[in-house]
Amino acid sequence: MSRALNRRVFLASSAAVASGVALQSAAPASAATAAKLRIPDIDVRQAARQDPSEATLAEAVVLMRRGKLTATELTEAYLERIERYDSTYQAYAEVTGEAALKAARQADRRPIGVLRGIPLCIKDNYFTDGVPTRCNSLIFEDFVPDEDATAVARLKAAGGIVLGKGQMGPLATTRATKPNGTVTTVNAWTPADPSVDPGGSSTGPACSVAARLASSSIGTQTGGSIVLPSNQQNLTGLKPTMGRVSIHGVIPLSFTRDHAGPLARDAMDAAIMLQIMAGPDPKDPRTLGLPVVPDLIRSATPVASKGVRLRRATRIGVPADFLSSQKEMRGAFLDQLAAIRGVTLVDITYPADWALLTGTFNAARLAERTEPFRHWLREDPTKFGVSLLSWLQGLMLSGDEWITAQRAKTHLLREVLDGILNDCDVVLQTGPVPFDILGLPEIAFPIGFGTNGVPVGTILGGQPYEEDRLLEVTAAYQATTAWHTRRPTDPTATARAKLRATQTRPRLSAEEAAEASA
Amino acid sequence: MAEVQPPTQEQLDAYVRTRLALAGFDLTLLPEKADPATGVPTQAQVLASLRSFVASTPGAIAGWAAPATSPAYGQQASPPLLYPSITEAWTGKAEE
Repeated sequence: MSRALNRRVFLASSAAVASGVALQSAAPASAATAAKLRIPDIDVRQAARQDPSEATLAEAVVLMRRGKLTATELTEAYLERIERYDSTYQAYAEVTGEAALKAARQADRRPIGVLRGIPLCIKDNYFTDGVPTRCNSLIFEDFVPDEDATAVARLKAAGGIVLGKGQMGPLATTRATKPNGTVTTVNAWTPADPSVDPGGSSTGPACSVAARLASSSIGTQTGGSIVLPSNQQNLTGLKPTMGRVSIHGVIPLSFTRDHAGPLARDAMDAAIMLQIMAGPDPKDPRTLGLPVVPDLIRSATPVASKGVRLRRATRIGVPADFLSSQKEMRGAFLDQLAAIRGVTLVDITYPADWALLTGTFNAARLAERTEPFRHWLREDPTKFGVSLLSWLQGLMLSGDEWITAQRAKTHLLREVLDGILNDCDVVLQTGPVPFDILGLPEIAFPIGFGTNGVPVGTILGGQPYEEDRLLEVTAAYQATTAWHTRRPTDPTATARAKLRATQTRPRLSAEEAAEASA
Repeated sequence: MAEVQPPTQEQLDAYVRTRLALAGFDLTLLPEKADPATGVPTQAQVLASLRSFVASTPGAIAGWAAPATSPAYGQQASPPLLYPSITEAWTGKAEE
């Protein structure tokens, strides 16, 4: 998409609105739209043919289409693993097994939508009709919504099945803990050691997919909460551009920065999930009047004629401090990228005020979390548990300071679009916060393992509404590497015993929770 | 322009308490001693954290201005936007 064109269209549109031309109400993306999608007939790995829980979402759909797998068999396989292992992982806050099996049997009788009965883990801050939605907080401990969040409704309309609600950081702030700060969900790669960071706040959705307790999952991101757990647990997570996916029915954290997106096994699965979730929603005005959602599934289909190549030539920006503490891995990763036809690596430099505008200014989001929670702050602040401090910090910012931060966002966006992203098409990130502030898209994907056996991932950022280009790069990289196909070992009896014998689990203090908060 | 002296700890404490009270927040609803059951910070922890936050963050944000040759031009620079990525790409066609 041409940014110059975008700006001209924006100016013309502004003039139209100023002259009194009203916006038309938007038609919601519908099951009909989802039904038009088709998942390509990808090769299904031998491991997936032997064990349904190993199948990616796309592989499972292909197996179902070929009559080799039913939704009921797949759902039962996941429920069996949840029964056996989730007391160790603690990935789920709520398992809706009975309803999932009923939906699976119905899907087998009459398959609907592109997903045909695929079981999914939903982060527990998405409204789910008739299912507790606690956001891992005492504030919502008795909350049972009477509607689905738009993203959940779209996944269900496309044939997705809610297998359960994923554990999360309290109110979407940190790694998953109890409301009092005691660590719950572990990293699927180190189930016996709860001190290893599993990433947050979409910790449970990440763990459920990494541990093969669900086909795919959805999370939310305000300050890295999709991409960080994806990096920590060997997944491909896609945080779309602000407005690409409706956040109607998502319990808010910071309304200018909350994004909904998938945590998936690979680029193809992330593309399928986002394609279904994305599009205008009259219930969320942020989604209206935006560029059409491109064919993300095509973007995630690697092009492999005479070796893997990109769909279109792409300049990938590399900051000097990218993976600076892991030089060997940096070198290997960049070499691998550079070997893909169509890739050009470009050194990029941050603007001089980058650290200030993406560091200190990150605090501006805090006032946004205070406002929608005022009722509970006045009524009973103990319900915030370990998370209280950042909600009170939000009270300490004045209106003029918050406006200054919004002005700084405009300035920062120009520095990124006219500076960094003028020299490249996508840029490797050293952290998620800058593009969270700006609402720009990011994709996380695996690039190796550390010496401790924990996955290492990277984050690639892109231009507004260019999730397709992020998927193109990731799909090509994954076509030439196998990191994303690695699977963690199931918890052994010894590991489970060791975990049970651990007298005290790690615990975050209120100050640590505020410091680490999304 | 005379340099403004930074506030004392007592002034910060008074500011924090007053701001909480104006917002309808009752500090006494929090425990005086640590409560492991809820993990909620104590009154003293809250005050210490907020004094530190107030001393460091609002001033740093308010101290920034959009680059411009003078304050008059600075007012015109980088108009504040809640959703800059949306503004960048907005088509104005709601049905899209």
